[in-house]
Amino acid sequence: MKIILNGVEEIIPDGLSITDLIEWVKEGDPHLMVEVNNTYIYPKEYDRVWVRENDRIEMINPNLGG
Amino acid sequence: MLANTSILVAGAGGLGSLSSMYLAAAGVGRIVIVDDDVVEPSNLNRQILHGEQGLGKDKVLSAAGRLSDLNSGVTVVPVKLRITDDTIDHILDGIDLIMDGTDNYDTRVVLNRAALKIGLSWIFGGVSGFDGMASLFSPKGKPCFECVFPPPGAKEDPGPGIIGPAAGMIASIQSMEAVKEILGIGKGLTGRLLRLSGMDMRINVSTLPPNPECRTCGRQLRKGSRP
Ligand SMILES: [Zn+2]
Repeated sequence: MKIILNGVEEIIPDGLSITDLIEWVKEGDPHLMVEVNNTYIYPKEYDRVWVRENDRIEMINPNLGG
Repeated sequence: MLANTSILVAGAGGLGSLSSMYLAAAGVGRIVIVDDDVVEPSNLNRQILHGEQGLGKDKVLSAAGRLSDLNSGVTVVPVKLRITDDTIDHILDGIDLIMDGTDNYDTRVVLNRAALKIGLSWIFGGVSGFDGMASLFSPKGKPCFECVFPPPGAKEDPGPGIIGPAAGMIASIQSMEAVKEILGIGKGLTGRLLRLSGMDMRINVSTLPPNPECRTCGRQLRKGSRP
């Protein structure tokens, strides 16, 4: 199915949780932040939130320099 | 209102350079600027508060000179100190609002806990490479910094160097938030995270729900407690 990942259209397998999606894109940053449709998702919820068609998902690496 | 306000600029680096200049130019009454570093050549791509004349000098002294030159009506208090659990109470004496110009996770945790304890708002900014983020953490409403960036945070910024305009854009947004917060106008970034992706030039603002798992704002603060 189609989602918008970091502003770019991606075709991903159906039935993925956020945890699965992180694995699928091979994102390894332990401090990764995730937003779904403009709402921040806490890591505790990654297993419970399912990716749906046309979701706009942002995978974010924190910026903590100054 | 601005003239009666005392602001802490925590760090005289890439973010603090711009925000302190905008706040001085706007006519904030008192700016306490804290940093324990000296100016180095590698700073000058983004830390435009300092120039070649300042190389080797304390950043806070270099900063104080430039800020007083911008607006002689502002009281600038340079403080050469490292921000830690032990120094923060002293630093925050008389402060109304905190501008984040720090460059690491741990110092922001110090700011977050002290701000929650005393009941101050602080305006977070962070940058790496061409990217950056900003938010306003208020004691009046969740979430706090550690809700969004739970410990243990990244030890240091692993990214490439910071391009000057990324720091400039985030510091400008922080400064805008500061003026609004002081004047009590507009819709601030409380409960929202602004993100700038400079490389593909996208700006996103997302909603931050409270984090029930947060161990810092979720329960009573204990001084000096560690995550
Ligand atoms: Zn919290």
